[in-house]
Amino acid sequence: MASLAGVRILIRNTGKFRNPISRTCLRSAVTQLQSNERYFHCKRQSIVTLIPQENIQSLRTYSTNPDTKKIEERVLNVGTRVKQVRQYSIAEPMSLDLIRKRVLLVLNLYDKIDPQKLSLDSHFINDLGLDSLDHIEVIMAIEDEFGFEIPDMDAEKLLRPTDIVRYVADRQDVYE
Amino acid sequence: MSQRSKVIQLYKTLLYMGRDYPKGYDFFKKNLRRVFEKNKGERDPEKIDKMLAHGDFVIKELEALYMLRKYRTLKKRYYEKS
Repeated sequence: MASLAGVRILIRNTGKFRNPISRTCLRSAVTQLQSNERYFHCKRQSIVTLIPQENIQSLRTYSTNPDTKKIEERVLNVGTRVKQVRQYSIAEPMSLDLIRKRVLLVLNLYDKIDPQKLSLDSHFINDLGLDSLDHIEVIMAIEDEFGFEIPDMDAEKLLRPTDIVRYVADRQDVYE
Repeated sequence: MSQRSKVIQLYKTLLYMGRDYPKGYDFFKKNLRRVFEKNKGERDPEKIDKMLAHGDFVIKELEALYMLRKYRTLKKRYYEKS
């Protein structure tokens, strides 16, 4: 039974990544199990073969779903103290789209940015008319939203919302 | 570290420090911004160094302010009546 639990853990760990390589690894792991059937009792064997490969997706379990409304509420209620969002289980999965939405939300809420002018490719200083001090405040708001610090060296280069999205995605290992 | 990034770091640190300012974060932010904008035309490196030193002094003052506030709260809790 212990080995079965081990397989489950393996499935869960590899299922987190969506790239096809890990999936093929997973498949090979399952097939290996099937080929080693003589090491199992008949009963246990039947349990193992019952793991359907279509269900790999559903084996990924998250305690939280990415909920834009919740994120919006949290960003709106941020005061001087930034509330830490604890993830007792695995952190919610991020996608480029979600990061884009969150960045735009934070920027829209910044009072010196005109929401009509804001788009993903607008330059903070040239298009939106911010100065360098405003830019620092924007970067700080982004830091608060995503919960990590952006060094000044990198912050200087983040002059468009797209740059911020790409930087955050790189930091969080989101590539799709 | 260039002088520009030093100034940026000072601004950032002061913004963080101002989050618990007794008169409110907005008040602190407005004043901080005014002070920085007042001196934005300064180009003399020596004068900028002096201002940076003053900024560090302000950070120390803010720290002292928070320590004092904490001490007062504690004292109030223990010696309410006297």
